[in-house]
Amino acid sequence: MSIAAAVLEALRAEAANHGGARVARAGLRIGELSGVEPESLRFCLETLVSGSDLDPLAFDFELCPWTRRCRACGAAFRVVDWNPACPTCSSADTEAAGGDQMELTYLELEEP
Amino acid sequence: MRVPLERKVLNENDRLAATLRERFQNHGVFCLNLISSPGSGKTSLLERTLEGFGPERRIAVLTGDIQTDNDARRLQHFGFPVRQITTGGACHLDARMVERALEGWPVEDLEILFLENVGNLVCPTSYDLGEDARAVLLSVTEGEDKPLKYPATFHHADLMVLNKIDLLPYVPFQADVAKENARRVQPGIEILDVSCTTGEGIDRWRAWLDRHL
Repeated sequence: MSIAAAVLEALRAEAANHGGARVARAGLRIGELSGVEPESLRFCLETLVSGSDLDPLAFDFELCPWTRRCRACGAAFRVVDWNPACPTCSSADTEAAGGDQMELTYLELEEP
Repeated sequence: MRVPLERKVLNENDRLAATLRERFQNHGVFCLNLISSPGSGKTSLLERTLEGFGPERRIAVLTGDIQTDNDARRLQHFGFPVRQITTGGACHLDARMVERALEGWPVEDLEILFLENVGNLVCPTSYDLGEDARAVLLSVTEGEDKPLKYPATFHHADLMVLNKIDLLPYVPFQADVAKENARRVQPGIEILDVSCTTGEGIDRWRAWLDRHL
């Protein structure tokens, strides 16, 4: 719920930077390792928006997979079944390469 | 009109956390964020830690809970500064709570600042508190698959403390499986076995802390 509140706070700040236009739709990028369950976040956002000055407001979720990069062969890959080894060359020498995103990616503003 | 953005949802928290981190690093304070489920032994580990430090050590604890100051009271006996953060409903600490709780404290004089997070394996993960390192506690009365169920938490941890190892003979917990699971989620994670009840492994934990000073 506090993350949903932070989303709305960020959204209001960005809308204010654009002349206080009404926001019709917002894009969110959520990574698999962000600690956020997208459906729970959607529910919390809907609860906070409902009946507020932001209502109606739609959200688009873009889900980002948990990825690692192989230090041996350079391949980036999606982690499946928690397996951190490189599926291309089998090396265990891999590093984190994404999945903890929690970002506001766009706002769709209504024309004044 | 569509306005593209690249704004982190928690950028305000991240900004505050970066300020705290700079402050800690400029003064040589090692700040550790302790995360676990309720009842894994964060407060017990801190009790064991504080009781072993002489009065010349400069250690302080901020302890977070939704309600009560019981943890702060447990930790106050050892003569080190302890402050309770009562979140009043929030299931995690955030950088602003830490910043406020540190007001008027001689943070600059500390060697170690422990941040005992609210017992929760989910929400604390997303909030940077300006710490230098993050430790997650897992106790043997929980499931070995916790790292797989809560990968975000273990993925962002530098250290896993496996607590209550004195109970291993009495519970079906497979320590090797738990450790393998943690390493699958975070191949670089360090792991320490401890028992806050018998004191086993506390010397290794203390050595781990000293290595980071």
